[in-house]
Amino acid sequence: MRERLRALVPSTASVLLAIAVCFLAVVLTRGLGTALDAFAAMGAGALGDWGRAFDTGDMGAVLRPLGEASNKAALLTLTGLSVAVAFRVGLFNIGAQGQMMVGALAAAVVGAGVSWPAVLHLPAALAAAAVAGAAWASVAAELRLRRGVHEVISTIMLNWVAVSLVENWLVTGPMRAAASGDNSVSGTAQVLDSAVLPRLVGDVSRLNLGIVLSLGAGVATWLFFSKAVRGYEWRCVGLSPEAARAAGIDPRRATREAMLLSGALAGLAGAVLVLGTELKYPSTLAASYGFDGIAMALIGQGHPLGVVASSVLFGALRAGGTRMQLFGVHKSFPELIQGLALLLVAAKLVWSRLALWLLPERSGERP
Amino acid sequence: MIELRDISKRFGDTVALAGVSLEVGQAERLALVGENGAGKSSLMNVLYGLYQPDSGEVRFDGQATRLKTPADALARGVGMVHQHFTLVPTLSVTENVVLGLEPRKGLFFDLDRARADVARTCQRLGFELDLEARVDGLSVGSQQKAEIVKALHRGATTLILDEPTAVLTPQEAEELFQVTRALSDEGITVVLISHKLKEVLAFATRIVVMRRGRKVAEVRPGETTAGELAGLMVGDGGRGAVSSAPPRGAELSGSRERMVPSAPPGGAEPSGSRAQAVSAPGTPRDSGGSAPGDARGPRVFAAQAGVLRDDGGTSGEPGLVAVAPGVWPSGPPALELQHLDAAGLHDVSLEVRAGEILGVAGVDGNGQRELAEVVTGLRLFTHGRLLLGGVALETLTPHEARSRGVAHIPEDRLARALISELTVEENVALGRQRSPPFARGSRIDVAGRRARTTALLSAHDVRPPDAVLRAGALSGGNQQKLVVARELDGRPKLLVVVQPTRGLDVAAVEAVRARLLAERRRGCGVLLISLDLDEVMALADRLVVLFGGRVQTALRRDEFDERAIGRHMLGVAHA
Repeated sequence: MRERLRALVPSTASVLLAIAVCFLAVVLTRGLGTALDAFAAMGAGALGDWGRAFDTGDMGAVLRPLGEASNKAALLTLTGLSVAVAFRVGLFNIGAQGQMMVGALAAAVVGAGVSWPAVLHLPAALAAAAVAGAAWASVAAELRLRRGVHEVISTIMLNWVAVSLVENWLVTGPMRAAASGDNSVSGTAQVLDSAVLPRLVGDVSRLNLGIVLSLGAGVATWLFFSKAVRGYEWRCVGLSPEAARAAGIDPRRATREAMLLSGALAGLAGAVLVLGTELKYPSTLAASYGFDGIAMALIGQGHPLGVVASSVLFGALRAGGTRMQLFGVHKSFPELIQGLALLLVAAKLVWSRLALWLLPERSGERP
Repeated sequence: MIELRDISKRFGDTVALAGVSLEVGQAERLALVGENGAGKSSLMNVLYGLYQPDSGEVRFDGQATRLKTPADALARGVGMVHQHFTLVPTLSVTENVVLGLEPRKGLFFDLDRARADVARTCQRLGFELDLEARVDGLSVGSQQKAEIVKALHRGATTLILDEPTAVLTPQEAEELFQVTRALSDEGITVVLISHKLKEVLAFATRIVVMRRGRKVAEVRPGETTAGELAGLMVGDGGRGAVSSAPPRGAELSGSRERMVPSAPPGGAEPSGSRAQAVSAPGTPRDSGGSAPGDARGPRVFAAQAGVLRDDGGTSGEPGLVAVAPGVWPSGPPALELQHLDAAGLHDVSLEVRAGEILGVAGVDGNGQRELAEVVTGLRLFTHGRLLLGGVALETLTPHEARSRGVAHIPEDRLARALISELTVEENVALGRQRSPPFARGSRIDVAGRRARTTALLSAHDVRPPDAVLRAGALSGGNQQKLVVARELDGRPKLLVVVQPTRGLDVAAVEAVRARLLAERRRGCGVLLISLDLDEVMALADRLVVLFGGRVQTALRRDEFDERAIGRHMLGVAHA
């Protein structure tokens, strides 16, 4: 138990320190008052303006920000899980971005292309996105297994292939929506209502089923790694491929399957983006959630619940970040916090010392 | 003159050193002996600056000194050669030796001067070593010499050798002792940490015995016997039987009561007569207390051949062949290799029958590793036939090997057998994770796994018996016990064992050997691959010698002859 608590120290300390450093930076450049106002605005933008909601009875003041925060958290969670799953099997999937793009396109095509009842249409669109993401990732998996190409290289390159294929060609060319009347349209055709992720609290907020889906994926991934035999085998492969092989586990098969799951999760992120908020594949996605997933996986220490926790936090901070602009602080400030936290998490040795100091070793544990 | 005064060191609640005082005189050859965890290495790590003592002090020539890092120790002339070498494999010997204190010419590394410097060091000390060779191309013995040169080149006048012969062939070990003896003649102090009492008696000028973090005795080699030392190490004193028993016998019998686990799950209790029986083959070679390699004519073991049979054991295991006392094992073959080729193996034919131990002797790197890998499915064979339990197999995967009853105790437990980041119970499930009691359907059966682990830990005396401890936190001996416990738990039909006692202390060696013999008696076929010829000769019913990936000779127990085997191991028997 103590060992588990100790594992929480590096990430928690890094995030808190990153927030503190960024706060200090604003204090030093803009003064304490502005800094407090800006961070209060960020909080309100992330968690809702509860004061105004009570004063005016306008629940939208709470639900709108929460909706934005949860949408961002949902995307970060799915891409973060994507990277974390691969990580657990010893693979570094840098390609969540590309897998998310093809997933988003698949969701947009199925969402707009067929007309089915919602009970079929929405699952079909989600499944299409997962399959597309998995297929994209499988290219990297097969290259690695058959030709020994390192997945870091192949997934990075596949990201660019995805950009060219999806955005520079399909979405602006063959799959671009037909112009209606005099209005020229960008991106693919609008997704039909039957494929849209239902909103949870009506039109007052964009809060939708995506967050439920992604939290469910987080819990499922956690259960898979902690309770399922297959998850145990994957962890063995990730920790020691040689010992796993000697134990009769096929590391190649684990690699292949894990990469498929990783791609599917990233593809789902694309679906949540398209079916939840964009409602079509826009001319460019203009969202780097695939890359942010790497940060979420690392800050979450590769643990599914850690990924969920860091995604919820940074999703909220990002949603609130836009409001900092009112006080002259750039809206990308939360990304600065994220980057700094990531950098600090990398200082493993420092944190493990701190963890040992906070939670000293018991008997039986050797240094 | 180095003095360690009242050194104490704790790790958590574990006391590693409890007020140990030790003096090391110049040019002395001091041996530190004791079981695993007795504190030998901890004490030397204090002297080497790796550990800070909780109390006590280190004095050099009467002056108290704080050693915060190995660099501090080296500044005082203390160098240490660890069991695991610290060489860069892709660099040459010269480059490794000067690493960190490279001579420079302007901005550049002056390789010529480095070569000359290192050559001078070697010459001064009488070392023969190919200084241009890349380290990864050297034998283990030469790598160890490179480590020693590295320490001495840095000005070490006191050399600590931690289990130096654990990885060496008998010839290499003998060479090591010649070299180190010469060093002490040159005024270098040598501290040897060892389990092997025979070599300690032959090498040291003074022997310090440690037990449970304390110094329990200090003796001179001429005034003691290996039996007495073994008794001191395990703490039951020199009993009547011990003084007259041969060293190996003393090692085995002296600690039997304490260390042999009560009820092995898969086999019969190793009896006292068994332990004595094992000891018997050692009798002629050890009784004189002579130096290793001391030529006394061929030692034929024919007289002992019957002793090992004479255990009166009957297997209670249904379905497996019981070995009747006093007869050669006659069970069906558990493993047959016929003209088998694989990378590193050429035209290998051999057979392991149920209820026998087939020993594989040979100098390291002559196909032993490859042989173990082929039989366990980790390496493909290209030609020939492989039969398990009479069934010819076209190919063999590790999974198939396991499901056909092949268990594997590999040489490098942390690379192949255990995953140090996982808990003990997760490691117990490794390899059997899909079958009960470790799984129910596709889910992990946490309760079943815990129950089986707890039972195994107590049956095999793994300490601490903590199922959720990280496997990496166990000591080496206990890690090996854990591997043995797991592999035998599946009641294998064929047991492939490589170097099973490497680096283990006397009691753990005894426990592991007793397990192997119990498996043999149960009717399991055992393929025992070891670089320790004594071990192979003591345990095997038959043995083959590998040289250059080929089987050189196959001998029955009554044909064992150390000198002849040694010639086959060196590939010079065909004259």
